[in-house]
Amino acid sequence: MTAPPLRAAVVGMGKLGLLHAGLFNVLPGTRLVALADTSDQMLRAVQSKAADIDTFNDYRELLRQVRPDLVAIATPTSSHCVIAAECVAAGAHVFIEKPLCLRPADAEPLLGALRDTPRVTMVGYMTRFLETFRKGKELIESGVLGRLQLLRSTMYVAQLFRAGKGWRYDPAVSGGGVLMTQNSHLIDMLLWMFGRVDLVSAHTSHLYSQDVEDHAHVFFQFASGLRGFLDASWSARHYRTPTMAIHVQGEAGTVDVTDDRVALFLTEDRQGMAAGWHEWRKPDLYRGVPFDVGGSHYTLQAVQFLDAIRGGAAVESDVHSALDVQRVISAAYDSAARRGAPVVPGATS
Amino acid sequence: MSVPRPVAPIVLGHNAFFGVDHLSAQRGGEREAYFSDPSRVLEIVEAAHAAGAGGMMMSTHERAVPICDLIARSGRLRDGLRIYPLLPYAQKYVTRSNEVGMINVVLEMLSGTSLMGKLNLLWQGSKAAFTKDVNAVISAVMQVELKPFRQLDTHAVFLHDTLTDLALALGLRDVFEFYLTEIPRVADAEAAFTTKNLPHFLAAFSEWGFPRPLVMTHFNRAGYHMNPDRVQCEQAVAAHPVSVLAMGSLASGYLQPDEAYAYLGRIPNIDGVVVGVSRRSHIDETFAAIKKHMSRA
Repeated sequence: MTAPPLRAAVVGMGKLGLLHAGLFNVLPGTRLVALADTSDQMLRAVQSKAADIDTFNDYRELLRQVRPDLVAIATPTSSHCVIAAECVAAGAHVFIEKPLCLRPADAEPLLGALRDTPRVTMVGYMTRFLETFRKGKELIESGVLGRLQLLRSTMYVAQLFRAGKGWRYDPAVSGGGVLMTQNSHLIDMLLWMFGRVDLVSAHTSHLYSQDVEDHAHVFFQFASGLRGFLDASWSARHYRTPTMAIHVQGEAGTVDVTDDRVALFLTEDRQGMAAGWHEWRKPDLYRGVPFDVGGSHYTLQAVQFLDAIRGGAAVESDVHSALDVQRVISAAYDSAARRGAPVVPGATS
Repeated sequence: MSVPRPVAPIVLGHNAFFGVDHLSAQRGGEREAYFSDPSRVLEIVEAAHAAGAGGMMMSTHERAVPICDLIARSGRLRDGLRIYPLLPYAQKYVTRSNEVGMINVVLEMLSGTSLMGKLNLLWQGSKAAFTKDVNAVISAVMQVELKPFRQLDTHAVFLHDTLTDLALALGLRDVFEFYLTEIPRVADAEAAFTTKNLPHFLAAFSEWGFPRPLVMTHFNRAGYHMNPDRVQCEQAVAAHPVSVLAMGSLASGYLQPDEAYAYLGRIPNIDGVVVGVSRRSHIDETFAAIKKHMSRA
């Protein structure tokens, strides 16, 4: 006998809300039953096209009336943990868009709700599901590079060349600029690949925005002893789409990972691989997905969340992992406010 | 309903001209700089047309406007090259909607056009008018996006896969019906679709009772961007009435033209291929492989 489909709801109907709505409707074993958004316009537009989906202005009303099995939350960052805590208290598994919150302390109500009502959580760090970055992590974890020596990482996009408008540029709602909203992806990736960070030192600059940073440079010291940096801007010319790149050097070679490819260089034969260059491109690593809306990495992410709800393997990017990202971001902002003074993540909130 | 014209067997892709390169963002950026001069695009388009390309894809990127003007001024291209607009140019909306929200992006697009007045979408209170008639607003957006192509032989207008696949995922039959009705009305062209989920798309189309669609989709020997997988795409295309315009046939440069088109030549219902060329030397090798293996070309 097959289990009845999981009943999914989405709160926040921006572009990612729409994407999650599509995925949680079309993937096997789940179906979209309700949407919530504070904008009547968006709800009416949806309702005029999809009459059998219940719509609500207030997510609390949705939780009461619909009692969904899972909720995807794609609202502005400042409301993530408040909404998620109420969803968990109402018995729903929660998928939360990244970043998790503005400050680590904001997650307390959610962590409390999860202690009372354990549920599956996932935070939308979907770059973990890009084939090249998965392969890069696999290579780094295999130890093929020997002891790691150097790390540099960048994330750039040509997005902002005049003052921006909207919630992303209001630190009270977004928590910060390019470091918080876009580079939470890169920080999550670095923690996922290289483990805990013991110390950060950061500098930020305002190029076009008044209230949030447009450029950030962060030095990391990892618990493993590896040191390295990230450099990030959303005002970087020539990057049509957000572009992430990681370069790491070890005793026995280097690994370069971008969205397009993974390149491994070995100084000697190691683990059955010959000395010299090895390359994996996206088509080498691609596997089809049950349904693609906006990129197969979003599907793989949703599938992992649904599997975990059904009792399969645990979610990799859960609330606790995302909270580690927040601690590093907060430490970086603290450091930048003190002109790059070293800060230990988690020591402040 | 009139019988649709067959799709051009060789359709020139536009990605290289607009800096899109799915295998290398850096190479994409370099090409974008080179092709920022529309006359360099025209040079490649003319060479490709002379070598046998009967059509050209064109996203509704702002750079399409000067290219369309140049094509319109060249009599040979205006009459002999079918244009296949792809709408909307998604990245433009994504970047801008990050700043002002999706509804405002639409309102910005329409501002200053005569359609704004017709729809009563004056800036004040325009958000309320937005939802009074969603279809009228979407139709207005389509007309604005398609305006640069009006002077050309627009054969079919493709809906971007982001929208096709979202509507498909949500099971929104109405969206497809609206698009199928509206494109012939506003653009005098066939309504066509782009998807990354061909088997799902074809199953829905046949369930909904829609006519044989023209579909642009990834089709390649490597199975790249083919969902759920290559085998199911091969089965679906053989089992349903469909005219496929294959894109990504070289899997973003991963496959050699000869092996790539030998594979496509064996698949039924593939009536055309989209090929991206950015240099004259590419044209000869790629087109020769297409003509050798694909009977219609």
